[in-house]
Amino acid sequence: MKLELGHFHVKEVTFGESTRFEDGVLTINKEEALAVVREDEHITDADLVIARPGEEKRIVPVKEAVEPRCRVNSKHNNYFPGVTGTELYQVGDGRSHALKGCSVMGVGKHWGSFGDGLVDMSGKGAEYSYFSQITNICLVADTDEEFERHEQQKKNHAIRWATHRLAEYLGNCVKGLEPEEIETYDLPPITKRDSSVNDLPSVVYVIQTMTQMEEEGYNDLAYGWDLNKSIPTLMHPNEVLDGSLIGGSFMPTSSKWATYDYQNCPTIKSLAAQHGKTLNFLGVITSNLNVALIQKERSALYVAQIAKTLGADGAILAEQGYGNPDADFTACYVALEDAGVKTVGITNECTGRDGRSQSLVSMDPKSDAIVSCGNVSELIELPAMKEVIGELEALGRDGLSGGWAGDEILGPSVREDGSIIMENNAMFCGDQVIGWAQKTVREF
Amino acid sequence: MKKAICYINQFFAGIGGEDKADHAPEIREGVVGGSMAINAALQGIEVTHTVICGDNFMGSHREDAIQQICGMLEGKEFDLFFAGPAFRAGRYGVACGEISKVVQERFDVPAFSSMNDENPGAEMFRKDMVIFEGGKSAAAMRTDAQKMAAYASRVIAGEAVGSAEEEGYFGRGKRHMIYDESLKPAADRAVEMLIAKLGAQPFTTELPIPKTDFVPIAKPIKDLSKATIAIINTGGIVPVDNPDRIQSASATRWGRYDISKMDRLKGGEFKTIHAGFDPMMADGNPNVILPLDVLREMEKEGKIGKIHEYFYSTVGTGTTQKEAARMAQEMIPPIQEANVDGVLLVST
Amino acid sequence: MPVVQLANLVPVAKTTGTNRIVPGFAIPYPLGNPEMTEEQQHQMRRHRIEVCLDALTTPIEEQTVFKVKI
Repeated sequence: MKLELGHFHVKEVTFGESTRFEDGVLTINKEEALAVVREDEHITDADLVIARPGEEKRIVPVKEAVEPRCRVNSKHNNYFPGVTGTELYQVGDGRSHALKGCSVMGVGKHWGSFGDGLVDMSGKGAEYSYFSQITNICLVADTDEEFERHEQQKKNHAIRWATHRLAEYLGNCVKGLEPEEIETYDLPPITKRDSSVNDLPSVVYVIQTMTQMEEEGYNDLAYGWDLNKSIPTLMHPNEVLDGSLIGGSFMPTSSKWATYDYQNCPTIKSLAAQHGKTLNFLGVITSNLNVALIQKERSALYVAQIAKTLGADGAILAEQGYGNPDADFTACYVALEDAGVKTVGITNECTGRDGRSQSLVSMDPKSDAIVSCGNVSELIELPAMKEVIGELEALGRDGLSGGWAGDEILGPSVREDGSIIMENNAMFCGDQVIGWAQKTVREF
Repeated sequence: MKKAICYINQFFAGIGGEDKADHAPEIREGVVGGSMAINAALQGIEVTHTVICGDNFMGSHREDAIQQICGMLEGKEFDLFFAGPAFRAGRYGVACGEISKVVQERFDVPAFSSMNDENPGAEMFRKDMVIFEGGKSAAAMRTDAQKMAAYASRVIAGEAVGSAEEEGYFGRGKRHMIYDESLKPAADRAVEMLIAKLGAQPFTTELPIPKTDFVPIAKPIKDLSKATIAIINTGGIVPVDNPDRIQSASATRWGRYDISKMDRLKGGEFKTIHAGFDPMMADGNPNVILPLDVLREMEKEGKIGKIHEYFYSTVGTGTTQKEAARMAQEMIPPIQEANVDGVLLVST
Repeated sequence: MPVVQLANLVPVAKTTGTNRIVPGFAIPYPLGNPEMTEEQQHQMRRHRIEVCLDALTTPIEEQTVFKVKI
């Protein structure tokens, strides 16, 4: 498969009469954009607010982030097959255009849930989320999804799907334009590679997607399919980069990977950069994080089998989540090592507020090479911001994984003056195990 | 100017060697012998007093020595405490650790020491305080004193400090998150680590795997038909109004609920508040986590003597070991008072 | 006082150092199974609890995972 990703670097986003991209400026016709959002009648209220890096803005509760994209020279108009539109087809081959340096961010106007998070656009808080570094076009919306209004776990379907549609709508404005640069991901079939490439150590990238909920509507999707109901499978890296995977709505958010993260997966890019030089990048094994031990063991067994069948010498294994998913991570790591596949893990830790808890709930001496991206329970205290996009109260009120209504010692997460205290757990996609993280955990 | 108090042994105070190791604690104003090197290296801090104690005195009369020294420190204003450097002197190292640990807790000031990695005091007290890795002998006095004094000066001034490895002290088992814009992204760190591992080159994991803690094995119950069994769960089963406001994740609270008049837990009366999994099944039938129904049957059949009249509940997801251990410590007394013989712990 | 831990995540129970371990069926329902009838679930629950109680009366030398049949 050969994927050409045409880049359009967005330097400014404004509202105007027509939706267009010119000289680095993305102009949005708000009415037209909101009409796309309102195609779903469950959206009862919607607005667009721009948050730029360096601005004194705090966004919460954030549910999803998506990079605006479109397909070029394709007979299909829906960018996320199986999720938006009706056509199901293979992605990862051909040309797609992307508005770089920005995301469409789905934000609750009022209500948050366990897997929602917070993003600060400046100050100390901007160190904790990748999304602090890019311009976020925030879709701030409310819905009539009464069945889950006061549930801690929400599917957030209307807002998340509106985010995907809006990203598609904005992406379409660069469909006919010539990109400033083109990134090419050309990875031939495994058996059709030059001997110079075949002689290099071959590696797979294993992603443990979020599939903790039994009921549909919460989990990560591949081409619209709930990955809870799958066994690990092989995917072409280009498919991951080109809209086949959708982030879910369940995981404590610092551990979560948004759709934007899959679209831009830095570990795939880093492996692709080494392909043909130091490594032979075989592909991506998509695994899951189900809730019964036998399912975890079965997935580990399949991952090891696929790696072994492909003849992989090495693997990078990335865990989305912590707590019981640590058991999947360690089981998979051990299965790969036992199959003779030299493995490096990427994960975050839960060492407690005092840093003294065991890092992962399940560990094995065989997992001897791990890149650590954060401590979910690290306490973070941040001053008030001038503007809040969404509703600050949600952090403490709605059961976000890193917020609380009251605490005997620390008081409430959200204080009257607008300052906050929270666990890293609630930083939107904060631990960036997908590969961005310029964070780690060290012993003090 | 902030104030520091130092602790040194009889040898470094110039009182004498082994023959003077029984020297009883005393406190002198200003610097004495070994504390001079520390004072010289401090920034914005001065050593106001030096405590001197013989190593054998501390070793053989620990309680007495600690009590005497604390008495001497009572009423003195100080912001930090130094002990040593102790190099490879074992008794001195242990003494430094003993006194520092108590001073930290009682006077709420940070304590700093320096020891060689072969000093048994380092392993014994590294979790409790900052102990710099020091030289083998007094030849390293200036460097060792300099290291801990410079670090302490930065801590007291509120400056940013690095990890144990970066600073050169023995890790205290506290793992914290750091952000460093000069750090390569995780993706690149992982790929580099993989290339090194594949090429049998050295690499350093960022998450060293600790050894498993084992719990001593308890003796089994002799006669089940006479035994009282208590049920604890970490699946967050509570009465529907969650009267103890147990948190759905990262719990610090627990509750116990009277089941003495129930044959089973009913959906609608009990539910799970655990945020880490799909609650549907447990809300419908809480016995799938807290199996009162089958235990009650067994009690009626005489297989077990009695079910303890309360069940105990908290939430396991994101809950740290420290909090979990504390909650367990709090649950134990009422369970023991009820003469419980065995515990069924259900975790989710 | 002996403690038996019924847990689906046996590796976690092992890592924590529990000595008497009995496997649970799944994380959200260690003693239930949505695929089974109420009666089957009750049987399974009773069986696993019997194994737990046996575990409490069994002398062990090392960390032990007791086997369940259903």
